[in-house]
Amino acid sequence: MPDDIVLKVEDLHKSYGNITVLKGVSFEVRRGETKIICGPSGSGKSTLLRCLNLITRPDKGRIWLEGEEITNRNVNINKVRQKIGFVFQEFNLFNHLTALRNVSIGLEVVKRLKKEEARKIALEMLRKVGLEEHAYKYPAELSGGQKQRVAIARALAMNPAIIFYDEPTSALDPQLIGEVLEVMKALAREKVTSIVVTHEMGFAQSVGDEILFMYDGKIIERGPPLEVIQNPKCEQTKRFFQKIHELYARQER
Amino acid sequence: MSVYSKLLRLMVTVWDYLPYILEGVWWTLGLVAGGLALGFIIGLPLSIAQVYGHRILKAIVEVYAWFFRSVPLLVLLFLFYWGIFPALGYKLDPLTCSILVLGFRSGGYQSQIFRGAIQSIGEGQYIAARTLGMSKLQGIYHIILPQALRIAFPGWVNEYAIILKDSAICFVLGVMEILTRTRYVVMATLEPLLPYFIAGGLFIILTYGGTKLVNIVYEKTKIPGLIGRI
Repeated sequence: MPDDIVLKVEDLHKSYGNITVLKGVSFEVRRGETKIICGPSGSGKSTLLRCLNLITRPDKGRIWLEGEEITNRNVNINKVRQKIGFVFQEFNLFNHLTALRNVSIGLEVVKRLKKEEARKIALEMLRKVGLEEHAYKYPAELSGGQKQRVAIARALAMNPAIIFYDEPTSALDPQLIGEVLEVMKALAREKVTSIVVTHEMGFAQSVGDEILFMYDGKIIERGPPLEVIQNPKCEQTKRFFQKIHELYARQER
Repeated sequence: MSVYSKLLRLMVTVWDYLPYILEGVWWTLGLVAGGLALGFIIGLPLSIAQVYGHRILKAIVEVYAWFFRSVPLLVLLFLFYWGIFPALGYKLDPLTCSILVLGFRSGGYQSQIFRGAIQSIGEGQYIAARTLGMSKLQGIYHIILPQALRIAFPGWVNEYAIILKDSAICFVLGVMEILTRTRYVVMATLEPLLPYFIAGGLFIILTYGGTKLVNIVYEKTKIPGLIGRI
C-alpha cells in the first residue's frame, strides 16, 4: 500500500438484526485529504464512522489504518483509537472536567504524559481553536460552538493520523456554526487528514477533496465536491442536493 | 410527694445516666460508618457490574440487591447472627455482625443508587472516552464514576440517614448503641418518658448534623452543570 494512504476501507458490511445498514463500502483516504461524506439520514453515514474506529464491529470487510489492518482480531483497539480523532454531533465533552482537562485527560490517561506536559499541549490546542481564555471553564459554562471547538482540540491533542467529524455542526444554533467551520477549514488547509460527515455544502466545496454520497448503505456517487454538488449524476443524489439547496435558499430569504 | 419534686428527682436521676447514654453515640456512629463504608465497597462494584457486566453477572447483582432489600433488617440480623455465621463456623460479636449485616444490606441499596446515577449519564460520555483510546476500566474510572458519584450524592446522603435510624434495631443483638443503653436506663429507673426522648433527640441531632456536614463537602466539590442537589 502506498505510504500516503492513511485509511483504506474494503467492502464494509454491517447489519443490526434484519436491518442492513452498510452494504459494501469501499474507499481510501490519502494523507492531508478532507473526505466529505453526505447522504440522507439513515443512509449509514454515522454507522460507517463508528465501524471505522471499531466502536461498532463491522460484520464483514477490512479496514487498514496507516498500513495496519485494524479489523484483525489481534489488534489492540485502544491503541488504534488513539490514532483516530472523533468529533461528535453532540460534542460529548466530559461534563466534570474543565475545557483544559477535557483536552489533557487523553494525554494523561492514554498516552501517559506527565501532567505538566499534557497541560502544555492542551493549552496549545485550545489556543489553536481560539479558546485559551476559556480553559478553566466547565462544559456547562460554554456555548455550543465553544464546546465543539474544545472537542476538536481534544481530538487534535492526541495527534491522530485522521480525524472523523460526525455531523459536527448539526446540533448547533445557526449563528454558532461559523466559528466551528472556520476551525475545521483552518485544519483542513493545514492538511490534517479527515473524514467529515456533513451537510454544509459551502464547507465541502471550499476544503473538501472528494465527496462520497451515501444512499441505502452504499456509496452511490463520488467525485470532486463542486462536480457532485452542482452536477450530480444519480437520481438520488440529485434529489438530495435539490432539497439542500431549497433549504438554504429558504434560510437566506 | 408533689408532682414537682417527683419531676425534679426524675431529672436528677436521668442526668446521672446521661453520660452512659451518650457513650452510645460512638457505638451508633461506629455502626453507621462501618455499614456505610462496607455498603459503598460492595455497592459501587455491584453497580458497575450491573451496568457494564456480563448478563450472568447482572443477574447475580440483581438477586443480591433484591434479597437484601426485601428481607427486613430484623430478620437479616437474626439470620446472620444465629444462622449463617455460626453455620459457617464463625462466632462473631454483636457489633461486628451488625456492621456486616448493615453493610451487606446497604450494599444492596447503594448498588441501586449508583446504578441509577451511572445510567443517568449519557452513553456519549463513555463512547467519547473509548474513542480517545481509553480502556473500558479507564473510561469507567476517569469519566463515568467521577460524574456518577456526584449525581448519586443526594441519594447517598439519604442512605446515611436511613442506616443511622436503622442502626437502632441492632439493640436486639445487644450492641451497646444509643437505644440499648436507653433501654437499660429505663429498666433501672422505671422511667421511660425522658430517656426515650433523649434517645430520639440524639438521633435527630445525628441525622441533621451528618446531613449538614456532607452538604458542606458537597458544595465544596460541586461542578457547574452536574446535577445532584440535596
